[in-house]
Amino acid sequence: MKKSLEKLLNKPLPVDPFKPQRAVITDIEELAPDHKKFTFSFLDEGVAKSWDYIPGQFVMLTVPKAGEIPISICSSPTRKGFFELTVRKVGRKTKVLHQLKPGDVVAVRGPYGNGFPVGIMENHNVLIIAGGLGMAPLRSLVWYILDRRNRFKEIYLLYGTRSYEFVLYKEELRRLKEREDIKCLFCLDRVETPEDREWADIEGLLTELIPQVKLKPSETYVAVCGPPVAYKFIGKELLKNGYPESQIFVSLERKMECGIGKCGHCQIGYKFACVDGPIFPLWDTKNLPEML
Amino acid sequence: MEFHIERAKVLPKSNLWSFLEGLKKISPLIAPVKRGNKTVFSEVNDISDIIINYTRTILPPKKFLVPYRRVRFTYSTDNLSFSSNFKARDQIIFGIHSCDLHGISILDSVYLKENPDPRYLEVRKKTVLIGISCMPDDYCFCLSTGTAFPDGANWDLFLTDIGADYFVSIGSPKGDELIIELKRLFRDIEREDLELYKRSTRKKKEAFKNKKLPDLERISQLIELEYESPVWDEEAKRCLSCGTCTNVCPTCFCYTSIDVPDFEGKTVKRVEFTTSCQYPYYSLVAGGHYFKPTRTARFRHRYYHKFVGYPYQIEKLGCVGCGRCSAECPAKISMVETLIRLRGTDEKEPGKAAEQTSAGRSL
Repeated sequence: MKKSLEKLLNKPLPVDPFKPQRAVITDIEELAPDHKKFTFSFLDEGVAKSWDYIPGQFVMLTVPKAGEIPISICSSPTRKGFFELTVRKVGRKTKVLHQLKPGDVVAVRGPYGNGFPVGIMENHNVLIIAGGLGMAPLRSLVWYILDRRNRFKEIYLLYGTRSYEFVLYKEELRRLKEREDIKCLFCLDRVETPEDREWADIEGLLTELIPQVKLKPSETYVAVCGPPVAYKFIGKELLKNGYPESQIFVSLERKMECGIGKCGHCQIGYKFACVDGPIFPLWDTKNLPEML
Repeated sequence: MEFHIERAKVLPKSNLWSFLEGLKKISPLIAPVKRGNKTVFSEVNDISDIIINYTRTILPPKKFLVPYRRVRFTYSTDNLSFSSNFKARDQIIFGIHSCDLHGISILDSVYLKENPDPRYLEVRKKTVLIGISCMPDDYCFCLSTGTAFPDGANWDLFLTDIGADYFVSIGSPKGDELIIELKRLFRDIEREDLELYKRSTRKKKEAFKNKKLPDLERISQLIELEYESPVWDEEAKRCLSCGTCTNVCPTCFCYTSIDVPDFEGKTVKRVEFTTSCQYPYYSLVAGGHYFKPTRTARFRHRYYHKFVGYPYQIEKLGCVGCGRCSAECPAKISMVETLIRLRGTDEKEPGKAAEQTSAGRSL
């Protein structure tokens, strides 16, 4: 057996993929309790210009003094010059992030992960299903599609969350609902206040909205992002309604330290969420143990 | 051609110490030395400390390629400029056994195939790996993992004990340069040396004759077939989740990264340190969800990663049969035993099928 790995050592030293780029916070918007949307611009003009990404990808964000966290990008690559991250205050590092103000500087590296297969989604219907904070990475996909609307057929957005209070991007989604080229169906777990009633199409779960979608399943790609517990039920309901599992894509979260397949933490079965995902076809959930 | 006269030399055993002295003059020399009643890889000041015939070191030589604790960057909180004063040095690691050479090749794949880590590459370029042949003890199972011989691994020189001499295979230009530098210590190979070389490999194989070896045929499938086997629970019951097995493993690479500010909060060190999939926090995400909540899930994950994960990720088994995890385990959990037990539930003879069901086999 010859040394097939010899060639790995005969390469020039690559650029350090761990070195982040500085970015300034240009805007912070409070979306819901403990949920903020941060807008960033890279300080280095060259980086700002060349930086590109795919909906569904994520960045490793350095919160000064606290450490690095993986966060999905919630803006669309069709809008240049800035990018946005929506972050829920949920742990030690995000708590520090939520204390930052516009003008503060952070460091970012990425984008990482595979992103949604936007290329093969073209010329098809797209059904987007978001649960809770899962709306963040899917917002990127929504705007990507709307900005290149003629490349796609029918578009549906299903969005479910706890109550109106926890709805993200309220104004933006309200305007989307008025548009003709995307059909929006919203549900809330509990409909109690007048605002809840005004917002929700139904009181209930996302799975109850799926049968209302009038699309030909075989010509439709589905993008799902939500809390881990939701996938099982949404997946089942989609299959029941005839959507092919090779056309259903789910976005998964795991603990991550590196984003590039070196730290090991994000392994799901034999795959790495960071390089093989975070977007997986539903088919993979059958191959990978403990996936959902 | 590996056995061409220009690709191999013979080092008379009487010249070994001069060879080591010569190596030490060229670069800092790392070699196995005694520490208590165990052996460790350590930088050598006095070559007489070097142990030639050892079975296994506590830690594999990977600690000289990727330190267990390392500072990736330092940044100032004023301007967030990331810097590093990392610099790889030349080093020669002598006395690495075949299994550990294969372990390093696996790390080469992990760190260099995709998203190459420049730091690992720099260290690797400046490191010379010199292997040496060995004989197995009761924990070794390299014959099963296909790593009993250096064949295919990524090394520079390999010394095979052929009696009165060492047969020296030259694996790279770096290795060849060392030979040229110390030419006077070597002689050319002769036909007889090739015969002795063959005999030596046969001797190692024969040494495994009465040992317990796991059958690794279709091992990925076995792990998946037996994913719900009660064996996992039974073995994990003894497990202390201490992480010794992963810390001594030559192929484990998982690490955690934390930012450590100084007292004034002005500069922050980004520190990476080896972690273990056996620790509960390994899979803990913000919000408090554990993706691998039970000891059984974590215990099984190690086997799953070695025998299903690595073959997918780098197209090789993640285990090199060095036996460290079994030898060092405080609960005496043995990888070989676990694999044999799994194979047992998988391949029992048809007559014993009833027994299997009563044992709660779920497939």
